[in-house]
Amino acid sequence: MPIPPPPAIEHIMAAFPELNALVHIATGGFKYVYRAGVSGHTEAFKLLALPAAGATECERAARQEYIGRARREISLLAHFTSRELVKLGTVIPREVLIGGISFLGYSEEFLDGESIQSYVHRGGPRPREEDAKRLFGCLLRAIKELWENETVHRDIKPLNVMMTQDTARPFVLLDLGIAYQMREPGLTVNPEVRPATLRYIAPEMLQANFRQSLDYRADIYTAGITTFEFASFRHPLDLHGVDPVGTLTQVLRRPSTPLKLLRPDYSDDFCRLIDQTLKKAPPLRPANIEMMLRRLNSTI
Amino acid sequence: MKLYAQHGYGDGQKIRQGIRQGFIDGVIFSPKDISVTRLRETLVDLRSGYADAERLFDPQFYATVVANEPNSRCGSLITDYSDYFVPRRRSELETEERVRSDLGRTLAFARNLDITSVISPNILVPRSLNSIEAAIAKNFIRNAKPVANNLGETRLLFATLAIGCEALRQHRDLIEFLTDLTLLEVPPDGFYVLAGVSANDGRLDTFDADTVAGIMLLNYVLKLNGFRVINGYSDLMTPFLGACGSDAGATGWWGNLRAFGLNRFAPESSGGRLPIPRYLSCALLNRITFAELEQLRGVVPEVWNQLVTDELYPAVNGSEPERSVEVLQSWNSLNELCRRLIVPGDVLQSVNRCQRSIERALQVYSSVEDAIFGQLDPKSDSSHLEPLLTGLVRFLELAEIGASEE
Repeated sequence: MPIPPPPAIEHIMAAFPELNALVHIATGGFKYVYRAGVSGHTEAFKLLALPAAGATECERAARQEYIGRARREISLLAHFTSRELVKLGTVIPREVLIGGISFLGYSEEFLDGESIQSYVHRGGPRPREEDAKRLFGCLLRAIKELWENETVHRDIKPLNVMMTQDTARPFVLLDLGIAYQMREPGLTVNPEVRPATLRYIAPEMLQANFRQSLDYRADIYTAGITTFEFASFRHPLDLHGVDPVGTLTQVLRRPSTPLKLLRPDYSDDFCRLIDQTLKKAPPLRPANIEMMLRRLNSTI
Repeated sequence: MKLYAQHGYGDGQKIRQGIRQGFIDGVIFSPKDISVTRLRETLVDLRSGYADAERLFDPQFYATVVANEPNSRCGSLITDYSDYFVPRRRSELETEERVRSDLGRTLAFARNLDITSVISPNILVPRSLNSIEAAIAKNFIRNAKPVANNLGETRLLFATLAIGCEALRQHRDLIEFLTDLTLLEVPPDGFYVLAGVSANDGRLDTFDADTVAGIMLLNYVLKLNGFRVINGYSDLMTPFLGACGSDAGATGWWGNLRAFGLNRFAPESSGGRLPIPRYLSCALLNRITFAELEQLRGVVPEVWNQLVTDELYPAVNGSEPERSVEVLQSWNSLNELCRRLIVPGDVLQSVNRCQRSIERALQVYSSVEDAIFGQLDPKSDSSHLEPLLTGLVRFLELAEIGASEE
């Protein structure tokens, strides 16, 4: 189902009168993102287009899945305290009808910076090893807090990591829209569907019984890919121009490119660590986050 | 890579000699073979005489399931270690409460021993890691550290992980088991790994390509996840396990201290006889009988290790050593093999060295077979080398250490 056109700014502001100075900054999935003034400061306002209730059970289930994911994301954002995870804003989430279409609106803190994807695409200066280490460390701390709450992010990728100018929070992980919670019933209506971005899907997510064994090592894998891409401006599986089926095959079978080949100036130890996170079998990835953080901190 | 004495019956002065000469770094005591009183005395004696040597105590809880059998050979375990060792049926261990209780009794006993690190109890998973035994074993491991913490234990805790070779060969189940094991909420500091052989032919069991790949993968994954790993009864596999990251191996002076199996505790099927003394040749990656060594002396000089313990096999005595010093030669040689084959922190390079050493061993065996009268003793032959070589290749595949990393 295609995303409906964005509502007019004045219609949004009428539905959410606490907002002012609304500026559209991004579109993704079923979501519009705006920079907005709220009570004298800036926040990121998110407007999710909800699928119509529909006539069939399938359509209604799809709508429920979508609303369920949005609610889960909001509830998770409200819960986490790690500075590496984006925080919920002050606009209280609520469902509104604009132009006959249902939307869910809420806000997150506004992060002044750019995504790693944008940085890589525009070809910014090649990151120093200490920057790549800092990114990986931030992602590990975020993963740690998520897992302490029995949550797997499942969508760590360059687009979902913001680089900021704040030295206390150089990298912040966004978007828990498809996060998986171990203790809650699954939200996916069709069990065959894998909610994920293909280029950034952990191999175990492609197993038929992945819900039986999924754990935070799926996030370690995607944190490894994100760091690799930040460091080298290349995907470790070199998926340029590969179709979706080919991508899935590569994810399952192709060994990743060693980081050292692309960044010979980086230390062997760091390159090995990132390479190890990209192994196909979860137990082959380092799972001891504290140990990895110590390893990184000792050299930053 | 450290090497420990795998203690057993008839230790005499072997352990002290081994430590004094720098061949071993410590000892893993076997309660089956030593009374509590003697154990305590020996521990104190070792601490005062060899302060740097590590003193470990394997509670041998895994023998609990054979202890009920008539004529079982549990030795002092039954008579002296009843504080924690009682015969159990498998079904009794299916409740977590009983597991925690047995852990508590065993670890409380260890609290009062003058040992440097603690080994927690477990049972053997004989055939499959997708089994009731595997679930029980996971319970023992999962609860080990919390129970030790409750007892105020501050020494390093190694959880026993005893897996039969048959189970180690099933790699899919092994990987799933490791997936769980590396995700414990309160993990132990390390693992005391035992590869269980069947009663029939320990050598065939150990030197099977899939067993080799499985035990190496197990060691590799545990190290990767920050655990310390000690391999009990690892004997000739010690340097190969060191190549994939293991911290320590162990071996002893009898055949049943060089391979782990419950048959050591089970009723004896036939009378035993004293084994023929052997020489561990680094070049052959195997032991040969002293008589074979005598035949090869001067003809195939490569079989000699050129180590200080070569002198223990004097020509004037037909190359026969004193039985009590045979183990010193084994420890000395295994240490040398570890030194030659293990590149600390570099698994791929270490495995490459292991592969080259096997290829070299095949060449030396070729010279040996040309030089020797008749056939080699079955335990002395080269039949272990091909499975070992194949096992290394399979390990690299399983560990995803491959072409892209070279």
